[in-house]
Amino acid sequence: MITKATVDAFIEKIPPTPKILQECLLLLNAGELVKAAKVAEGDLALKSYLKNIVNKPIYGFKNEVSDISQIFGIFGVSLSQQTVYNYMISLLNPDKWELFKLNKKLFYELQATLSKKWEMVLRHLKIDDKEVYSAISLLPSSIIVTEAIFCQKKKDVILLRSAKALDYNTILKRLCEVDIFDICEEIAKKWQMSPKTISIVQASSGIKPLEDEELNTLGKWMHLLLFYELSQPQFVESGLNDFIDFQIEYVGDIYNDFASLMEIQ
Amino acid sequence: MKPVLKNGIAVFSPQGFLDGNNTNSFLSIEDVEATAALKAEMILVSLKKVIFFNRNGLDTFIKLFLNIRKKNQVTVGFCDYDKKKYDAIKNFYQDNIHFSLFQSLEIAYLFTSSFKNKGSNVLIYNNDKSERSAMAIELHDNGHNPVIAQTLDEFNQKKVKRETYEYIIENSFLGQMGQKIATRVTGNAIIYTISSFLDNEISDKFNMDYHNNSLNVGFRLFIFDAYKVISMNIHALNFFSKLSSAAAEYNATICFVGMKFDKTPESFKNTLEDAGVLFYNQMDDILQNKELLSELGASSASNIKHKRALNKETILELPKFIDATVATLEMMTNAKAIKEHAEVSTITIKDKKDKIASSIGYYGALDGMVILVFPKNIAKKACELLIGESTEDIEMILDTLAELVNIVGGKIKTLLADENISVNITLPRTYQDVDSLMEVVGDRKGVQVDLLFNDDKFLFFLTR
Repeated sequence: MITKATVDAFIEKIPPTPKILQECLLLLNAGELVKAAKVAEGDLALKSYLKNIVNKPIYGFKNEVSDISQIFGIFGVSLSQQTVYNYMISLLNPDKWELFKLNKKLFYELQATLSKKWEMVLRHLKIDDKEVYSAISLLPSSIIVTEAIFCQKKKDVILLRSAKALDYNTILKRLCEVDIFDICEEIAKKWQMSPKTISIVQASSGIKPLEDEELNTLGKWMHLLLFYELSQPQFVESGLNDFIDFQIEYVGDIYNDFASLMEIQ
Repeated sequence: MKPVLKNGIAVFSPQGFLDGNNTNSFLSIEDVEATAALKAEMILVSLKKVIFFNRNGLDTFIKLFLNIRKKNQVTVGFCDYDKKKYDAIKNFYQDNIHFSLFQSLEIAYLFTSSFKNKGSNVLIYNNDKSERSAMAIELHDNGHNPVIAQTLDEFNQKKVKRETYEYIIENSFLGQMGQKIATRVTGNAIIYTISSFLDNEISDKFNMDYHNNSLNVGFRLFIFDAYKVISMNIHALNFFSKLSSAAAEYNATICFVGMKFDKTPESFKNTLEDAGVLFYNQMDDILQNKELLSELGASSASNIKHKRALNKETILELPKFIDATVATLEMMTNAKAIKEHAEVSTITIKDKKDKIASSIGYYGALDGMVILVFPKNIAKKACELLIGESTEDIEMILDTLAELVNIVGGKIKTLLADENISVNITLPRTYQDVDSLMEVVGDRKGVQVDLLFNDDKFLFFLTR
């Protein structure tokens, strides 16, 4: 049984932003990369996370990068801030994934790939806005939320989905009148992420278009990017391909541009 | 990825991008085996939510499905695409298409024998003359009224008259249709579709376990849709004679509809009639005749043969049956169940008003039947999750209730499998009032558990 109380209990359990991260984000926001790096040094888990991310093949460095100042220097302000948010989201990672066949490594890989490709998208769209950069960090939290809410009812939900093609978002909405992206919004609010970040991620659900045309377009790009990544074999095998509904009509007008940017043939 | 099975069609719905790299990931070996075991009439991949695909992506699906087709004679292919995607598929495969293409899932349903809404007016166009004729024949055989547009101009003129046609078929391709004994339930009759030459293979193709358990759960009318049968030999004759004699022990009736005897000896008909088989020219001669239906037993179904006692094995597994039912209903209604009372007795329903019921049989290492009696309120609430809105349409509620009971049956199967007890489940049956349920259950003894969901009384009954 999944009720509003299940959802509230999950939101209640989300920890507030740790002080070190708050300070680090404030400094990054002010463009103080060196000071932010010094603060980040104080959080060993963050330090290890940053090293892990920057040395992933997608960043293409030949030699290992291990110094935090160097990492922040490579990333720049927007990407550093985005990566710290990625780290915060990763704190919600369950010890053991039950619903999806995921693990920490694969989840970090998804975060890193989404971040890198989101950067490509924003460069293509000529957008240089820290809040827009950070929005992609919140997106994978939708997967963690789905895992947390549905893992106890895995078998029931699988049976239900074998009788009717319902995605997790629709099931949650019909049961509790809130959807996965509403819960992501609660996480973002708790972590004082910006309203713009929240709006883009809500739009990226594909079912809540925004009146603001620019933000809505970003929602479309994010929705399509998400499904581009969730079509990769490792994420299909993880069971992520159909965790929410892909709204093909929503992204119709940007598809050709996206396909050309991602060199899809 | 698991398919969704409805109206005899198992549908996979991948999303996003399909190419040679990822299609194998959509279907594991277990998924393919589970799909084959569904015994669907068709296995289709919906392209509705696929924004990009290439030939390699489609090839992988087709190779896997063709293996299933070899074993199960199912129809395989793709559905839910627009003209651009259809042209892309035709372009990839040119004249070498060995699978089916249906522009929408609704169109695909028209070609299954399980589809309920027979008699639809359907406009067809395909630039290949033999293809459009083949579609018309299939549709006609399935009880629809096809109209073929001979030219594109004619098609364009006719298709604007939307009110004339319930379905308009273009951009579809039948390919190689499967040949198997499909099963569907109409009201309380089970219809088997047979075709071509009937010989000793009939005993392999016919699912005897399923048939026997359908008898056991109370189905009493079995109709063989034989419009497409060309001829039958002595082996098939013996098979049907035995089937009919066995059915008589349950007071059940076996009918043949549309069987022609121009290539089958007329004496076969006499032999079958002697064994109790009835012959009708048209399906509607039975299905539209309520009096005849009642006389043949479709709505009167007391089980006279087996009144079997509950055995120790069933009692031991009883908590699993109850857990499966309660967990499913709790999830679907978001209400907590309270167990009020349990006893071994004949079924007792004190307040029959506003109650609907459903039953599902299971067979294998254990056998029996689970009966669920719902107050309409609970049924409606439970169905809301599947339908997405509340409804007063009793047909829709009963249909959705059948899906729900199927989920309960599936859960029972899973829970028992965890203990290495292998069972299969029958199609669910629904009853729009308690009286029609009582005709099936009669005075069978079983375990009755009364449950309370938000002050609504719900009844679980397990019998053999």
